Amino acid sequence: MIKSLPKYCKLFLLINLLSLCSPSVEAKRPEYHLDIKNHLFYPAQIIIPANKKVKLVIHNRDNSVEEFDSFDLNREKVIFPKQKSIVFIGPLSVGEYSFFGEYHPNSARGKVIVAETKRKQAASHDALKLKQGSLHVH
Amino acid sequence: MFINTVLLFLQSAFPMFIIISLLLLRFTATSESLVTNKNMAIMSVLAILLVLLLSQYMEKISQLFDDKGTEFVFSFGSIVIYFCSAFLFLLDKKDRFIHVKKYLALAVFLLVFSIHGSHFILYLTSYWTQSSTFELSGFESLFIGIILGVGICVSFAILLYFLLRYSDTHVHIKTSCYFLLFFAIGQLMQSIVLLQQVDVLPLSYSVWNSTAFIAENSEFGQLLRVLFGYETTPSFMQLIIYLTAFIVPVFISKTRYLVRLAYGEKS
Repeated sequence: MIKSLPKYCKLFLLINLLSLCSPSVEAKRPEYHLDIKNHLFYPAQIIIPANKKVKLVIHNRDNSVEEFDSFDLNREKVIFPKQKSIVFIGPLSVGEYSFFGEYHPNSARGKVIVAETKRKQAASHDALKLKQGSLHVH
Repeated sequence: MFINTVLLFLQSAFPMFIIISLLLLRFTATSESLVTNKNMAIMSVLAILLVLLLSQYMEKISQLFDDKGTEFVFSFGSIVIYFCSAFLFLLDKKDRFIHVKKYLALAVFLLVFSIHGSHFILYLTSYWTQSSTFELSGFESLFIGIILGVGICVSFAILLYFLLRYSDTHVHIKTSCYFLLFFAIGQLMQSIVLLQQVDVLPLSYSVWNSTAFIAENSEFGQLLRVLFGYETTPSFMQLIIYLTAFIVPVFISKTRYLVRLAYGEKS
């Protein structure tokens, strides 16, 4: 079938196949874990550094399929029951990026908070804990 | 549940209706009598079998390649869709390659159906099983959502068919071919996102954010996404690939036309 194609078609095929064969390098990325339990995300908020690509490992502890979905992050991933999935996000600029579970959009909701430096990350983490009432200030 | 089902149709079932329209138009408008009852029946049976097979084994596929199986399989399928469609675009009006075009069209049809159909079946069964204890309101909204979703997809596909048919004869002879190319680029864009999601392709900052104008999660945004590969926050790489995927086949087709003109051949 390919032999019968005209020369320009063969050239187009060759160029595109070569472009797809570029080597992929998966460097060591900071890893963050997210659990889905009872159709809720744990933790519901993750703080990640700005301008860095991170690896998000999502574990589905439920007995039903869930989909990690985020329009802000441009990510969509089906996670089967009792399975884990990997999604890479970033580099992102400072801000909040929401995500949700496609099958339980009312309960399964969360946010990726992108903070600039480690100190700021810690500050926003403390602020988050204070908000949740789990941090005791002496 | 109701809105979710309608959006589900626009995301997963809509591309299947669009490709039927485009391929029917492509092969019925020309002298290539490939759209026969026998061919249609064979293609439908093959498509249904592939969809059922893929949706059945999707969980196993997802665990391949260090939990990146779905991305690899679907992105490969989407890339093949693009190449087959680009060849269909390039081989337009060539009566010599009827069999090649037939197989390319078959590949596009089966791949679009398997990728989107398997997702659709998975979503639908999950919604169905997870709608808590089948309370009547949930069941009703799912049912109405399906009816409305099918209605929107069928209406739009028919409208698109006649609109492109009119445009092919009255506006520009290759309108439907360009439309097929844009649809294929949309599929290619989805594969780029999938490969970026698993870190095979590099991630970069978004070039712009058009959420304020047309949100990707809106009905119109979904429509544009399926038809032209619309992205609210495209990365630089996506932008370059989009432009290349459009310019290269168009350039080749125009060059051929210019060469023919230079040698004094009639097109």
